Amino acid sequence: MTPESSTESRLPSLRRARLRDLRHLLLFAVRRLVALLVTVLVGVYLTIVVANMGGQVDELRLVQIRSEVVETVRADPAFFDMPGEERNALVERQVALEVERLRLDQPFVVRSLDYLQRAMSLDLGRAEQMHSDRGSREVRDIITERLPATLLLFGTANLLVFFTAVFAALRLSRHYGSALDRTVIALAPSSAAPGWFYGIFLILLLAFLFPLLPAGGMVTAPPPENRLEYAASLIRHMLLPVAAMFFSSIFVSIYSWRTFFLIHSSEDYVEMARAKGLPSHRIERRYILRPALAPIITSFLLMLIGLWSGAIILEQVFNWPGLGSLLFQAIGHRDTPVIIGGVVIFAYLLAATVFVLDILYALLDPRVRIQGGRR
Amino acid sequence: MRGVGLGISALLLIAAVTVALWPLKDGPARERASRESPRLNAELDRGALARRSGALLDEIVFLRETDLGRVTGLIESGSHQLFSQGISSPTVVNRLRDSVYADVDLAFGTSSELTLNPAGPELGDGSLNPFASPKIREALNWLIDRRHVAEELYGGLAVPRTLPLSTAFPDYARLAEVARELELHYAHDPERARAAIDAGMDELGARREGGRWTWRGEPVRLRLLIRTEDERRRVGDYLANLLQDEGFEVERRYRTAEEASRLWIATDPAAGHWHLYTGAWISIVIQRDQADNFSFYYTPRGRAEPLWQAYRPAPEFDALADRLSRRDYRDWEERQAMMAEALALALADSSRVWLVDQLNASARAANVEVAADLAGGVSGSALWPYTLRYTDRLGGRMVVGLPGLLGEPWNPVAGSNWAFDRMIIRATQDPVVLPDPYTGLYHPQRITRAEVAVEQGVPVEHTLEWLEVTREGSIAVPDEAWVDWDALHGRFITAEEAHPEGLSARTRVRVHYDADLFERPWHDGSPLSPADIVLPWILDFERASEASPLFDPAHLATFEAFRRHFRGWRILSTDPLVIEIYSDQIFPDAESIVAARAPSPLPWHVLMLGILGERRGELAFSSNKADRQRVDWLSLVAGPSLPALARLLELARGGHDLPYEAALGEWLVPGERERRFESLAAWHEAFGHFWVGSGPYRLHSVHPVEGSVVLRRFEGYRDPADRWLGLSTAPIPELVLDGPLVVAAGDDPGAGALAAGGAEGREAAVFRLSVTVEGEPYPEEAIHEVNYLLFDGQGSLAQRGEASSLGDGEWRVLLDAETLAALGSGANSLELAVTSRWVALPAFASHVFATVPGDEEVPR
Repeated sequence: MTPESSTESRLPSLRRARLRDLRHLLLFAVRRLVALLVTVLVGVYLTIVVANMGGQVDELRLVQIRSEVVETVRADPAFFDMPGEERNALVERQVALEVERLRLDQPFVVRSLDYLQRAMSLDLGRAEQMHSDRGSREVRDIITERLPATLLLFGTANLLVFFTAVFAALRLSRHYGSALDRTVIALAPSSAAPGWFYGIFLILLLAFLFPLLPAGGMVTAPPPENRLEYAASLIRHMLLPVAAMFFSSIFVSIYSWRTFFLIHSSEDYVEMARAKGLPSHRIERRYILRPALAPIITSFLLMLIGLWSGAIILEQVFNWPGLGSLLFQAIGHRDTPVIIGGVVIFAYLLAATVFVLDILYALLDPRVRIQGGRR
Repeated sequence: MRGVGLGISALLLIAAVTVALWPLKDGPARERASRESPRLNAELDRGALARRSGALLDEIVFLRETDLGRVTGLIESGSHQLFSQGISSPTVVNRLRDSVYADVDLAFGTSSELTLNPAGPELGDGSLNPFASPKIREALNWLIDRRHVAEELYGGLAVPRTLPLSTAFPDYARLAEVARELELHYAHDPERARAAIDAGMDELGARREGGRWTWRGEPVRLRLLIRTEDERRRVGDYLANLLQDEGFEVERRYRTAEEASRLWIATDPAAGHWHLYTGAWISIVIQRDQADNFSFYYTPRGRAEPLWQAYRPAPEFDALADRLSRRDYRDWEERQAMMAEALALALADSSRVWLVDQLNASARAANVEVAADLAGGVSGSALWPYTLRYTDRLGGRMVVGLPGLLGEPWNPVAGSNWAFDRMIIRATQDPVVLPDPYTGLYHPQRITRAEVAVEQGVPVEHTLEWLEVTREGSIAVPDEAWVDWDALHGRFITAEEAHPEGLSARTRVRVHYDADLFERPWHDGSPLSPADIVLPWILDFERASEASPLFDPAHLATFEAFRRHFRGWRILSTDPLVIEIYSDQIFPDAESIVAARAPSPLPWHVLMLGILGERRGELAFSSNKADRQRVDWLSLVAGPSLPALARLLELARGGHDLPYEAALGEWLVPGERERRFESLAAWHEAFGHFWVGSGPYRLHSVHPVEGSVVLRRFEGYRDPADRWLGLSTAPIPELVLDGPLVVAAGDDPGAGALAAGGAEGREAAVFRLSVTVEGEPYPEEAIHEVNYLLFDGQGSLAQRGEASSLGDGEWRVLLDAETLAALGSGANSLELAVTSRWVALPAFASHVFATVPGDEEVPR
């Protein structure tokens, strides 16, 4: 056999291997997609059932509607001299109108399947009780109106925490046992307190005791008309909540990344690289960071989609118009379409992220796609 | 890479610190209040005040602020000057009271009570319900120490309440004497309570064994629904302890409003899911007539729910409650007698045991003054826009915190009904009458006077001088009066057409509007016109007509209630505007009749855009219709309605035919249509919204997501700025009662009786009452009545009467020797009730004195 012929025979087998890999990858992707879709479906339906307490919320709503109508009628001087029987008949008519509007006259199962069908097709529909701040009843408007504020605040804080933690941890992993390392370890339990807890102290200190920063809100009231001034005002208002979130999670993040990097730093191949006398920055980049990249990316992407939910109490403490307090209000109002809207978008984002990560892993690591193909 | 990260971090830090410390160019008002310098330059201010017209402030910024815990801090830091929400937390209120920079206004309006399950006595589960017995229900009045509830459980932010009448509303003041008597009769008396419970339980066949009540061999178990969100949790625990001490087994069920409502409202009381519930009722306006409370709270007519259907009031009480709810009485005296009787019967029934009237505090900076409504606080006050000011200067900016704003879309037809939205909206409107924040009586704002004619025998009274009441044998509706609207042909229907046989009404209200009404401008600069009165009326009828594209089923209920009593109206003149309205609806106060009948203007050109939007299926005035048609609920201030309105405005400006032009034509000035839409276009261009009013403040800007709304003083508002300042503070009478502590009650008048501490000699005892307001004598003409009740040592009413005036806020009660002799020996109590014409809240004072036999030495 000549070298040429051996090369010719290797080429089809290489192609075949690639085709096989592609086939496995596609099969893997389809399976993952179906699995994720089913997960989203189940998750959303469970949300619908839980948000409505299996249909028992209808009963609560009826009581609530009736009470509200009775009180409205009683407080209105127009009905002042109406005999009790007529007033009660009128109340019944008003209640019937509201029942019809909210479709409470339909069985919950029928409504729940309708909710599910709309949710899965991302038709968010209209809210039942709530409005967007600008007055729209479309769930899409209600959510998107709050999204920028949430992304801005939580995005800034989380990105700051993430990158600071990763780089600080990398540095500490190289100076394992140093005074700084020991300090960070000692401070790690401080993250047991949530961001809003630090927020209260920061407000007390920097807004009330030394009034340097605003105690809450998103911008100065009334908001500046000049864009630059608006941006400056926005930054001023973000400082305290960002600082609160930063302090509440930075030490534990550094600690956990540091531990993660330490594990990778003690791998045999890293020791070997050190023994070979490679420069430390090369060891850091090629021998520690590169194999640790997949978990870092996973963590980063999950952190990004985690922004979606906001943080209810922190938003309340800082009077920040975010998604967390919006969803909290929706739960309070039992506004099923808004609750479903929030959940279904989160579910799709999560599913998409997981899918992208799966594909990335499969591309980066042949073991994943081969195992995925065989599974 | 590491260097880049560090660099970015350092830059961010520097930027953050720079921005944080950069001085604000146009930041929020930081108006720190000072107790040391209120009313500085008072003379200067008075002059400037007299020269100023319209609003007392230049700008008001409303901000969303939900955390009540920060209220004191925000006021002290100077970032906020007023909070509109009622604060019921004693901790927060005490902090505010302790702060030198803050102060509070108190409002009533929330009442706590115990709702009792009256079903049984044997319930569905075979257990005994003791509260089926009126005797046991009544006994709870003696068992509960309301003073303890008010002072300890509510931390002093409540006043005891025994009757189904709010202690802050006029009916209570009018019946103060009867109320006091009943309150003393039902005062805390645990022994009497135990005796009544024992008697009631014996009648039901229960037995007390080892201190525990049993029935058919089983312990008597009570299920107490305790609300958890507020102080009612502590009230529930207190009550549970009391009932346990009385020998009942008590199951405490802690529930939120929603969880509890499923049980106490939604279930059949006979099923026995609950026995007692810690309820509460809210009223945000002063109710001047609470005559239907008996029917609502104690009879099956109150509500259709199972609990109300389980009420079995005594026939006498039921009939009385029914008559009172229908206002079936000849005159005021008869009504008062019926009310007094109903109060006694309500307490004998006690399906509800009233506990306290809760006080809610509105927080403000110490140098801020505002007329807070006695029931609704600041947010419920109609006068807040006319009275809100700094006490030490004129004008300026004020920041007001609200728990929520822009809760629903704003439109003047069926827009947001949220209390805090209504509060802001009120400042942009100028109603024809304004309710007094302390009495609920209406004062004229855009009208000069009114004449009210009522049929003979209709019990209507008036208190204020701006209106007169006459009585006529019958009131005929004139032929030309409009009684209906033909939606199909777009024309008014007159009385002659609709009722050729003639039509009569029980009342006729003739309202004379201000002579300069049509010279006053809307915020966009266009002057008011009669069309601003006519179009809202047409719209009201259109929305109730199935033939109209504006038909809205959600509007029908209100409209039908209106149609029941509406008999017609006509415009008698437009210069000045005089309108006559015919109706069958009666309120005991003539002022309330005028307020309910007098039409208020709304800017017709703005309404027209909404009408066009709804006719074209783009927008809807009401939430219900918007949802049914899946279109946007009309908002004149923000959101997706605005571009639609802008398009409609262009249509209107382009000469497009407008609806109801034929009907409106007569009421429009030539060229008015064009000028109105031009003004509105300029307004929209300048401020970006369509909210046009005529009140002292105009809507400057709306920032929905940031959660703020800005109002600015409307330069075109002509009324003097100090017009309503006289009503800035509640003139609640403050009483000091002084008199002898020991009196010789000899049986030989003129010889044996001695008034220790009194100056009038030995024949009688004299008690002096000093009535003041803010340290000054309370004017005699403002006092309605000063009544006294004298109770003997056994707690029985010995005498009642009226105090006599000595002038300068001083009053005297003289108990003659005969009265003193009749008291016998013992500790007596003199109770005084003062009712004012200026404020609905009555004031009480009591004095305990001892009577000793006439031959005994009286210490001096």
